[in-house]
Amino acid sequence: MAEVALLDVGKSYGAVEAVRGLSLSVAHGEFVVLLGPTGAGKTTTLRLIAGLERPDQGHVVIQGRDVTREVPAERDVAFVFQQYSLYPHLTVYDNLAFPLRSPARRVDEKTIRRRVQQISELLHIEHKLGNRATALSGGEMQRVAIGRALVREPSVYLMDEPLSSLDAKLRAELRLELKRIQRELGTTILYVTHDQIEAMTMADRIGVMSEGALIQLGTPREIYERPNSAYVAGRLGTPVINLIPARLLGGPVPPQVETVGLRTEHIRISTADGPGPRAQVHWVEHLGDQNHVHLKLATHSLVTLADPVQPLKAGDQVSLEFESPLYFDQAGRRISADGLRGHA
Amino acid sequence: MSTLAERAVARTPRRLALRFGGMSDRAIAWLFITPSVLLLLAVNIFPLLWTIQLSFTNYRANRPNAVLRYVGLDNYRDILTDPEVWQAMQATAHFVLWSIALELILGFGLALLINRGFRGHSFWTTIILLPMMLSPAVVGNFWTFLLQPQIGLFNSGIALVTGVDPSSFQMIGDVRLAPWSIIMVDTWMWTPYVMLICLAGLRSIPDYIYEAAEVDRASPLRQFWSITLPMVMPFVMLAILFRAIENFKMFDMVNLLTSGGPGSTTEVASITLKREAFEKWRTGYSSALAIILFVTVFGAANIYVKALNRVKQR
Ligand SMILES: Nc1ncnc2c1ncn2[C@@H]1O[C@H](COP(=O)(O)OP(=O)(O)OP(=O)(O)O)[C@@H](O)[C@H]1O
Ligand SMILES: [Mg+2]
Repeated sequence: MAEVALLDVGKSYGAVEAVRGLSLSVAHGEFVVLLGPTGAGKTTTLRLIAGLERPDQGHVVIQGRDVTREVPAERDVAFVFQQYSLYPHLTVYDNLAFPLRSPARRVDEKTIRRRVQQISELLHIEHKLGNRATALSGGEMQRVAIGRALVREPSVYLMDEPLSSLDAKLRAELRLELKRIQRELGTTILYVTHDQIEAMTMADRIGVMSEGALIQLGTPREIYERPNSAYVAGRLGTPVINLIPARLLGGPVPPQVETVGLRTEHIRISTADGPGPRAQVHWVEHLGDQNHVHLKLATHSLVTLADPVQPLKAGDQVSLEFESPLYFDQAGRRISADGLRGHA
Repeated sequence: MSTLAERAVARTPRRLALRFGGMSDRAIAWLFITPSVLLLLAVNIFPLLWTIQLSFTNYRANRPNAVLRYVGLDNYRDILTDPEVWQAMQATAHFVLWSIALELILGFGLALLINRGFRGHSFWTTIILLPMMLSPAVVGNFWTFLLQPQIGLFNSGIALVTGVDPSSFQMIGDVRLAPWSIIMVDTWMWTPYVMLICLAGLRSIPDYIYEAAEVDRASPLRQFWSITLPMVMPFVMLAILFRAIENFKMFDMVNLLTSGGPGSTTEVASITLKREAFEKWRTGYSSALAIILFVTVFGAANIYVKALNRVKQR
């Protein structure tokens, strides 16, 4: 059963269409990640579900109930805001206890203390419980904001870039924790991020948004391996997929293919003369465990990863070989290798 | 590339550069603050010290040539045992406490209303702010007319609403009503000021905090008690501080409206002070009274500011 569903929802701010014709349903216990560039309408989508915005059109359904006209308090959602939104005059403890102290909830003080303790240990902020919320670092604030959502047991958690201001180590740790909590408790989470690793590792399904619309929704594998457009393909994978005009590559391609999408794993570089197109090494970036190789193919540049043991240096002439790349037509839609329009 | 300081030096006119060039930063700093310090000494510190000195004497300003005698703490003892002074202090306390209480309730209420941003709220804000832009002297004078029992608009207004005879009561002339008329006029004049400070406090609370509270299912009442009130508190306390200091030394409006009367029912401390100093010409005695008032306000304000800082720290 769908825990949360958006049915053809639209929301404009004046002339800006922040969200348009968006339909999305999140199943019970599912972890859905929204991915998209800045201004794509991700935050607006979450706010529409929470009831902080009224949609201009469409319906919001939570647990089978149409909540479109309901205020946030009636909807039973938890929200981790992009800008933390802590209560600045309260201590960390009181911030975490705030949602539990709602009279509608009737939780006794002892349960509150235990719950707050538990959550603060989970998020490594137990030594900061007595601090005022403003006397914290950005990362600590962010963890308190996550904690304030986690103390509750709502029907859905809405998280807006909750890990964005943590350091890499803590982020990796909390990523695993969040995923573990979600799996163990079977909670439903709708999660916004810019971080592809978060999206790929945590999501059951990823929704890619652009200019207020949901362009593709699917499992991380589907989105990565079978993106329905060049745009979606560009959202995942590092270095970013290379989009090269088909005519530059030569070789057989399915009909109507205008552009070829080349990810790192689609490209093989050999220094020996091969049958494939020839390119010149422009420069090499050393990342430690790998190298970013920038290639010049006629007028186009290409970025790919290479093993550091492969001795490449600027100016080298190499030949390229491609293995099952992605094909896109003129409008940027993907065409599968057998020449059919690809759909997710 | 030259640094900013080097470029500033290069642009300084030569004559100026010659004059200041040899001076250290410290010397230049002293050069700039000395005039202000001198002015402060002349108009604040020196009179204060002189007043302290006079408070130990029997000096009378209307008899400058009389022999000056040091009387030690006699003036202070006389003041602290004078029932009239204590009565004036009581009148002052009554005035200060009630006017602040009313101004707070009304000012905060108005601020809450205006903060909701109804149609035309900026127009109404301007209208509400008008009284505090008037001079206290003007306010005192025209309220004297308004409160006039026969022709005053206030009495007629009350008569219209309640049906009592307009000349059957006197706001200023009546022993029971006079203390309340000065409170009323002060409230009329300064509620807008308190409202303005409270409004600044309300505006300083970001919307997202209310959004978070709403998602956390806090009722409007709980939002008010656990978010609005504590976050506006420092502002409210500041308003109280300003109003308390102002009203403790209130002179002009009360002097014009009641001159302390009838009897001495509205004789607040500053009016007693004026009488002692410029009607009875007991300069030494009134200097001592002034020092006592000053120490009281200064001490109370200091304790209060500490409390205010604690509230802000919370
Ligand atoms: N309160 C508002 N008033 C006017 N326009 C708004 C408002 N909130 C959002 N918008 C506009 O709506 C669009 C979508 O905004 P939204 O905040 O949903 O983007 P986002 O995907 O969350 O971006 P980011 O990744 O930067 O957080 C943007 O063009 C933004 O300028
Ligand atoms: Mg956002």
